[in-house]
Amino acid sequence: MKKKLVALMLCVMMFIPLLPAGASGVQLRFIDVSPSPARQEYYEKTFAKFREETGISVAYESVPWDDAANKLTILGTSNQLPDVITTWAGWLGQFTAAGWVIPLADYIAGTEDQYTDTVTKLVWKGEKELYGNVYTVPDGMMVKGVFVRKDWAEEEGMDLDPKKGWTYSEYFDAVRKFTNPEKNRYGTSFRGARGAFDPLFVYLQTLTGGRAYADDGSALFNTPEAVAAYETWNGLYLDGNAPKDAINWGFIEMVDNFTGGLTGTLINDSEVAATCITSMKDEQWMVMPMPESDVDGKIYNTVNSPYAYSISASSKNPDAAWQLIEYLTRPDNNIEYCKLTGLIPIKKDVGDDPLYGPDGYYATFMQQLNDPRLVVPCAFGPFSYTDMHQGMMHEEIQKYLLGQQDAKTSLGLVAGELEKRMKQYLADNPGSAVEQPKSLSEE
Amino acid sequence: MLWQIALYILLVVILFAAGFRLLRKHEKKNRQLQISKKLEPYLFIMPAFLLLLLAFGYPLVNSVLMSFQNYKLIEPGKVYFNNFANFKNLFSDRDIGLIMRNSFVYVIASVGMQFLLGLILSLALKKKFRGRGVYQAIVFLPWAFSAFVIGLMFRWSFNGEYGVVNDLLIKLGLITEKIAWLGTPGLSLLVVILAMIWMGVPFFAIMYLAALQSIPEDVYEAADIDGCGAVRRFFAITFPYIKPTVIMTLLLRTIWVFNSFDLIVVITGGGPANHSQTLPSYMYTRAFSGYDFGLASALGVVLMVILAVYAVIFLQVTKYNKAGDF
Repeated sequence: MKKKLVALMLCVMMFIPLLPAGASGVQLRFIDVSPSPARQEYYEKTFAKFREETGISVAYESVPWDDAANKLTILGTSNQLPDVITTWAGWLGQFTAAGWVIPLADYIAGTEDQYTDTVTKLVWKGEKELYGNVYTVPDGMMVKGVFVRKDWAEEEGMDLDPKKGWTYSEYFDAVRKFTNPEKNRYGTSFRGARGAFDPLFVYLQTLTGGRAYADDGSALFNTPEAVAAYETWNGLYLDGNAPKDAINWGFIEMVDNFTGGLTGTLINDSEVAATCITSMKDEQWMVMPMPESDVDGKIYNTVNSPYAYSISASSKNPDAAWQLIEYLTRPDNNIEYCKLTGLIPIKKDVGDDPLYGPDGYYATFMQQLNDPRLVVPCAFGPFSYTDMHQGMMHEEIQKYLLGQQDAKTSLGLVAGELEKRMKQYLADNPGSAVEQPKSLSEE
Repeated sequence: MLWQIALYILLVVILFAAGFRLLRKHEKKNRQLQISKKLEPYLFIMPAFLLLLLAFGYPLVNSVLMSFQNYKLIEPGKVYFNNFANFKNLFSDRDIGLIMRNSFVYVIASVGMQFLLGLILSLALKKKFRGRGVYQAIVFLPWAFSAFVIGLMFRWSFNGEYGVVNDLLIKLGLITEKIAWLGTPGLSLLVVILAMIWMGVPFFAIMYLAALQSIPEDVYEAADIDGCGAVRRFFAITFPYIKPTVIMTLLLRTIWVFNSFDLIVVITGGGPANHSQTLPSYMYTRAFSGYDFGLASALGVVLMVILAVYAVIFLQVTKYNKAGDF
């Protein structure tokens, strides 16, 4: 009898996976490319609620950020991408070219006014320009700011007012004032490893009105003025305003060394605020807006979403996948997610939360998003540049920092390669045009 | 893809046909019985051989083919033969000289030191002493750690600002200013080499200890009676006895170290500016950041050729066939 019972139980267990996942019989796969225990808990909790409401079950999968591009590429190539994927804007050129994600314009139609202007006028407008359609729904919005050691600024007698803002020259002066190796203090969390070219690229675009390429695809950030700006930027490291190890610093080291008390400023996205809130005292830190251009007084700042939801072309249930995206971005779920990850909500009717108000931690970021001087400079291009982003972009900077080549060569090599790809893209896509900088005041 | 599989199957068929032809050539009398007898061992090894062909043969042949192709994962529809373009790109890379040099320095320094320290450790552990088992367990521990854990340990220990190494060196008065270990060319590779040495010494020690324990004691007793000194004993008895193990461990470890890239990726990421990059870590970077599998395969082929040449020369020079003959 016992044996029969065990055999029966084993049979039942074997068949359990074959049973329909939810009442609707639809099972979706979702992949998170930036997993953490907190994010996983949020998603699993939200998916459970989603199943209760819709009967659609969702399997949570994840891949560490460092391996995410590889894994998604392999899944995409083998036509096995999960139904809903969290993507990064930098991958979209590759994903759309390969046909791994489907357009979302038809799904979004009629609901655009629920979303903030940053989503409709910046993210979606950019995607339409670059890829001809909307392919993502942002998980939250991110804008850069300068995280500053408030207590150090007070010690130095500096009057830093986020509402007043500052220019790049004033920012560089602040970095130099903060530097005091005897006290084990350095002015800036300099980024020398992967991603090093990103903030530098924005700085170079303060000279070009936010443009990266001329209409024929020629790079505009390779002029003698740009080379001088390149030297100024990297001079922060060469003049000792950052620890020598910073030549190998990526995101984690930059943030750790700011919150740990080694560096006085950190240029990064609003998501870092969540870390500062938990690991620093309120009197120790503040956020200044990105510096104004010394050329035209405008604030050039990237506004994007850290990740966004897309539906894979291999999904057998794209409608159910859209239902999931709608659920994840529903105001109550989105604001909970944004608070967890340090982002700014994407829907208009959550904008009155005190956290995002004038006295909240995100006040400076919100202020920038409403500043008429804000200009979102152009991205590297609509082509695939992942290999450059993980290789030559920071390696050429490192070679300059090590004195192995001059600034002109260093910048020229990166600009030359980007220009070559941009021109190739224009040649391969007749009728396409180079991206233009965007501002919220534009229609 | 289909033609690649077809080519591969054709290759396997040719191999088998050649084998059978060889068998048939030597069999004339009692043909049926003889063939069965001759075939017997081949039939026994057939399952393992087929598995090997599937698991190693196909990827190997495929990677050689890919090294002559434009094979980018992000352009799956644009796979075509491009002759030697991948090799041309590889050898025209501005950093390839530096990467080659790093690879040889990395292998020679880390295998050399692992061998030396492993040998010393095994000689020390050969004699029985109180607590030898515990001591042995502790010194063999690094071999049990994953490279990722060791990589993180070294990365934090050699952190320029918070690392324990700088702190100790300053407290001991050996340095006055912090050293940017991971951010300085030369030093970043040194840190990776140190990590590799730390991880690999137990392997040599374990292997040599086992070999040392198999040397008959009476040989040493005879040497003592003849008045043989410690140095002479080592070079006349100990080393010749363990020579086959020494050759095999050096050969294997060199190949493993040459192929390893995990420590480099975790500790320095190949930086700064490729100063701690080696051929396999560079291959990994090219394959999984640029998704250029053609170029990465070309690098793999170069690696394979280097290691094959090394293995042949090494075995010839060390007279492996005669090692252990007395």
